Amino acid sequence: MEFFIKKENEKKREYDALVIGAGPAGLTAAIYIARGRFSVLVFEKVIPGGLAATTHLIENYPGFPEGVEGEELGRLMEKQARNLGVEFAMEEVVDVELEGEKKRVKTRDGEYEGKAVVIATGSSHKKLGVPGEDKFTGKGVSYCATCDAPFYKDKKIAVVGCGNSGMQEGLYLLRFVRSIDFIEYFPYIPADRILQERVKKHENVKFHLNHQVLEIVGDERVEGVRVKKRDTGEEKVIEVDGVFIFAGLSPNTAFLNGKMELEDGYVVTDEFMRTSIPGVFACGDVRKKVLRQVATAVGDGAVCGASVVEYLEGR
Amino acid sequence: MALLRDEDREYLKKEFEKKIRNPVKVLFFEKEGCENCDLVKQILTEVSELHPEIHLSIHDVESDEAKTHGIELTPAVVIEGEKDYGIRFYGVPAGYEFNSLIEGIMDVGAGEVELSEETRKKLGELDKPVVIKVFVTTGCPYCPGAVRLAHMFAFVNDRIKGEMIEANSFPELANRYGVYAVPKVIINEEHSFEGSLPESEFLKEVIKAVGG
Repeated sequence: MEFFIKKENEKKREYDALVIGAGPAGLTAAIYIARGRFSVLVFEKVIPGGLAATTHLIENYPGFPEGVEGEELGRLMEKQARNLGVEFAMEEVVDVELEGEKKRVKTRDGEYEGKAVVIATGSSHKKLGVPGEDKFTGKGVSYCATCDAPFYKDKKIAVVGCGNSGMQEGLYLLRFVRSIDFIEYFPYIPADRILQERVKKHENVKFHLNHQVLEIVGDERVEGVRVKKRDTGEEKVIEVDGVFIFAGLSPNTAFLNGKMELEDGYVVTDEFMRTSIPGVFACGDVRKKVLRQVATAVGDGAVCGASVVEYLEGR
Repeated sequence: MALLRDEDREYLKKEFEKKIRNPVKVLFFEKEGCENCDLVKQILTEVSELHPEIHLSIHDVESDEAKTHGIELTPAVVIEGEKDYGIRFYGVPAGYEFNSLIEGIMDVGAGEVELSEETRKKLGELDKPVVIKVFVTTGCPYCPGAVRLAHMFAFVNDRIKGEMIEANSFPELANRYGVYAVPKVIINEEHSFEGSLPESEFLKEVIKAVGG
């Protein structure tokens, strides 16, 4: 049993670096910046750990041979950062001023100044954008297995998306539900083989590959998912009580309000994690990149932290 | 075996020392055969040992104390100070909700909550009874935000009650209110919304619910 505490600290108004987002990327960047002996404040609106914290088990991040719970990994990274003097503001960032030598970050509770800003706001599970999805959000449509799994005890559910997230969360959901219908857009399962093997060991799972979700159907609550087989065009309704969606990610960049050039919503950087604005850096899932994992977020964060230190030292 | 980590215990001791200025009464309500009661009792016992002004008392759900506080379900926790503010926890305040318990204790102990002037003013103007139920699960990182607002609103206005309901302990209740995702907030039985909202938006929902 876990006991989460949102730890507060005294805050100043000015820092050398402001890091937006306390996921693996932002925390790693903060650790590197703090080791360079610069002051750093990290903003977080939910909890340290980011999206990874809602992942029940992370098994592909080295150093944890039995896997590590996302929440625990976030807590350990936060602790390491705090030990180095990193400060935290558990506040949601609503606006930024990134041009010029002094950058400003506004939250719902205040305003902070920094010489450098790191954007590490990550990504969220994307909506499918199909009819019924919004209507049934909270009435059978869910994006968080660790949050909502208990409501589906002995129920039939569908999981949309057979990537690593869909499979890993599917394994967690299998502890609660009666059966899972996995729906995948591609004609193959994109997840790591090891996860596929584990899911397939269960008798109560079924795969619908090469299927596109057309609609989430129901009256008051979700009653099924209407899908189309992509090669034949054949349609069917898979009857379920709930749908968990883990089909792709969407970057958390709304707060940037067009103040920075984005590509498909993602922040573009060079290999030093520098954006087009001097003194503004980005790392992790929020960045335009090929693989979004804890391991790659940490790698980004390290490069980013080192670049920020160089920038602050005026090199 | 202790539930709380040593490092967290140390952190909480320091925070309580800084924030608690008034006595905090933590009332725990139990009944025989209640599944999670022993767990909640242990959590509360460990927390109450961290500061001399946190006073834990244990009551049966059939007791007069339960009646005056309107408690019918167990496990239930009330945090009060010089008066009953309407701060309630039903079920297990662990996982992410442990934080809501801690902050509720600190609010009452400090005698103040962190809400904007605007929010306080509008809450002060509400003259009808409001019951805010917040359904949560302990694995939901988005839930404590909603619980905190409900409890802080309760603190500010005596007509408002803020109830955390940990859904796993009360499956029938969750079912009755049609809870399939958390946080789910139900105001005065009728008005409901899903998801975590910022302070000003949450306030608007409360005002909407009472027809303001």
